[in-house]
Amino acid sequence: MLQVAAQVSLIEQFTDSAIKAVATVEVIDRSPAILRDATLRAVGDAQRILYAPPHDLPVALFSELVKDPRVVAEATPDEMVHSAAGVTEAFAGVARTGSVCVDVSYERTGMVSLLAPLQIAVVAAETIVPQPRDLFRADMLDGKGLTRDFVFVTGPSATADMGPLVRGVHGPHKLHIIVLR
Amino acid sequence: MAISVFNPADISPRQVANKSEKKALLDAIRMTLGVQSAAVRRNTQTFNRNRYVATGLLADYNELKDRARQIKEQSIANLPQLLRQLEESVHANGGHFYLAKTAADANEYIREVLLRHKAKLVVKGKSITSEETKLNHALEAAGISVAETDLAEFILQVADEQPSHIIAPALHYSRERITALFKRTFTTDLPLDSGEELTKFAREKLREQFIAADAGISGANLIAADSGSIMLVESEGNIRMTTTLPPLHIAIAGIEKVVPSRTDFGVFLELLPASGTGQPLTSYVSILHPPLKAPTFAAPGKEAANGREFHLVLIDNGRSRMRDDPVLHEALYCIRCSACLNSCANFETVGGHAFGGETYSGGIGGSWEAGTGTLSNARFSELCTACSRCVPNCPVRIDIPWLNENLRQRMNQAQGSSPVKFLFGGMTGSAPEDCVAPLQKQFFGNYDAFGKWGTRFASLANASMHLPGSRSVMQSAFGIDRRRALPAFPKKTWERLYDEEKGAKQSPLQPGVVMLADVFTNYGSPERGMAAIHVLRAIGLDVMLSPAMPDGRAAMSQGMMETARRQARAIAPMLRRYLDDGRKIVVLEPSVLAMLRFDFKHLLDGDGTQALLAQNSFEPLEYLWEVAKQQRLDLAQTFPASRCPHGTRLFYHSHCQQRTCNSASQTVEVLRAAGFDVVTSSVECCGMAGSFGYKRDYYELSMAVGEDLFAQVRRADQEGGPRTLVASGTSCHEQLSAGMGRQVFHPAELLMSTLK
Repeated sequence: MLQVAAQVSLIEQFTDSAIKAVATVEVIDRSPAILRDATLRAVGDAQRILYAPPHDLPVALFSELVKDPRVVAEATPDEMVHSAAGVTEAFAGVARTGSVCVDVSYERTGMVSLLAPLQIAVVAAETIVPQPRDLFRADMLDGKGLTRDFVFVTGPSATADMGPLVRGVHGPHKLHIIVLR
Repeated sequence: MAISVFNPADISPRQVANKSEKKALLDAIRMTLGVQSAAVRRNTQTFNRNRYVATGLLADYNELKDRARQIKEQSIANLPQLLRQLEESVHANGGHFYLAKTAADANEYIREVLLRHKAKLVVKGKSITSEETKLNHALEAAGISVAETDLAEFILQVADEQPSHIIAPALHYSRERITALFKRTFTTDLPLDSGEELTKFAREKLREQFIAADAGISGANLIAADSGSIMLVESEGNIRMTTTLPPLHIAIAGIEKVVPSRTDFGVFLELLPASGTGQPLTSYVSILHPPLKAPTFAAPGKEAANGREFHLVLIDNGRSRMRDDPVLHEALYCIRCSACLNSCANFETVGGHAFGGETYSGGIGGSWEAGTGTLSNARFSELCTACSRCVPNCPVRIDIPWLNENLRQRMNQAQGSSPVKFLFGGMTGSAPEDCVAPLQKQFFGNYDAFGKWGTRFASLANASMHLPGSRSVMQSAFGIDRRRALPAFPKKTWERLYDEEKGAKQSPLQPGVVMLADVFTNYGSPERGMAAIHVLRAIGLDVMLSPAMPDGRAAMSQGMMETARRQARAIAPMLRRYLDDGRKIVVLEPSVLAMLRFDFKHLLDGDGTQALLAQNSFEPLEYLWEVAKQQRLDLAQTFPASRCPHGTRLFYHSHCQQRTCNSASQTVEVLRAAGFDVVTSSVECCGMAGSFGYKRDYYELSMAVGEDLFAQVRRADQEGGPRTLVASGTSCHEQLSAGMGRQVFHPAELLMSTLK
């Protein structure tokens, strides 16, 4: 009971922090159809959606999404650089900063989460940890943070080098996070 | 080549990057004040404000700093072993490891690797270390094109300028100047008149390069010896592109970036962005142990490379020598967050093109330029006034002013001796080792000697300042700017005034407080000292005055370290005796309080005296506030503000070192408890900073720094008319009165004026 309450408050903190970092967040129930609908809502009228299959979440969870004809799992190089959105899983979230941790060591997860203007990250609620430093603890998330190649993604790419703060530089212009309850 | 001094815009940053000649430093100050100051101020001060917010949100900020310091100390101590372990880890991951002795060695290795791969185009993430090695020049000379992809580095590459800031290397550019630069350089019909348009323009240009690149070169914020992992902090996504798209990845970093374990990343991961841009985390922090296992990217129409290759190139280039240096080794703890730059009033005003060398800038930059180059490259560290605001903001607790004071000593020594210097030093009290220092430094460093003579012959000394030509002599012999009003010597010192109030004098054996008759108050503003005594007595304290003795501050600020050490070793036992009698020490001048709290740890032998002095010394109103809280005194009754002849509406500017001592907020508490309406300044330093603002070379800079403070006074005055100006430090008084043309009071003087 206590654990459930703690998790709810972590999700709330995560959502608040992610919004502060200029990401958008939707918390949904864990089902293939709901995940498909939430993803397609987020991509709007995108013509092509890059997709990297998950390693931590069950592949079956994405089974409805991949049926959509716009979703491309084996993109050609040209498609890689000319797609409106990219969907990957994130193996962890961080409550204090609203970050998602994306494993970039396998398949094309790194590129799918980087090259398209809209990045969509799907994260399981139970993998949200309180602080960034928790990724470097052996007793959190089975120590995944100590062995993997990954990126803490906190909001969209940004720069202030051209004077005012601009969002959307080399990386995605928008970050949408789907949290699975 | 003669450099025009008339139009600041005619001086290019590259021309004045190397400041081994003083003229380059002075021209750089003029250039930056004229061209870059507004953008530098806006950007550094934004970082500075955001950092205070972000570090405030770290619940265990101080513990994290302690931990970070500890990790860096251990890492540098064990560096040779860590490097051997790291080499094995990188090999085990399937990568290549190269330890380069010099910059040229590193460039040569990288060039060879790229030529072996027949690389034509390299995309590069921001790496200040590669600026140090001038890697781009080496690669371009070999026919390899280099595309800087960090937008700031992109601007610098287009403009051919050195970085002006360690994390935002082009922050000296306003949006308008970038538009003008791009319009000059590129053929385009786009208006490029907003940040969005400029970003879009650069993004599209660079996207082509990312896709076509044969190799990517990145830096590394940290490297873990146990796993060969690297941490890369960024916001634009260009480092992710650089490390993800091309099949060949080369990371270049200094050997000081190595820490024992990937578990150590957690500490720095949270400290670095909070201390730098003031964000909880930047957009992307990559944790990689390359080569990546993910498939490579094949550009449209190109064949995919056969697997990935990774090279970690670590450079020494003077770092081992720094490691053996008793002073400079501390600079190796630097994690390059830029907090010391952004919290420095001088840096905020001129940036790294004046307060910096060919690569490194700001307070920490002098040690790096000296360590990776030669001592004379560190001349710009003269702009460190030892105001100490960087010290509490450094995530690894580097005592940056101490580094700069020692560099100053070495530069003094490098100048060589002369009979005049020796004669002057002998007369004024310099230690023999410090008699090589220039006359100006010995003049300011031996303030106590001049104070003693000046007050003894006050009428003569003051009158002589008004003699025709006397200020020209001061200017030419000691470099004292004639536009600065020199404070008049009082006819009676603080000691003398105190002795004359015989009736009130108390037994030295009765526990209470002793006020240190610091030389600045004793010879400069004894009336403030007497006011502090009266105010402390008003709440029932037994107050006595110590003999006047120099404390080492003036000497240390001029790099006269032996003189400072002697003075510290003479004054410490004198103060210790009062502590042994059960008294607390109260120090009016905050720069002297900071000596007792912090600097004596460098100057005294480790017999425990320094710790005792640090724990038992207080700023007067800090002590008053502690007593008032403990004894629940009603300060409004003791010091009713309504009785103050100078009004109750105040503008209070606390002293930079007073804030570093955490001894400033109590003054505001006391004044408010007494019924005053207090507005406070939020600048890091007034710009006078002891002798700094008096020096002819730095007068304009000092006044430009002061302008932030003056503007805050004017803003506060807008509602309800001019406020009474209040400051705790001697130099702040001089600066505020010069800038505002109004009388400035010490808080103790105001409180005394409310007494019946």
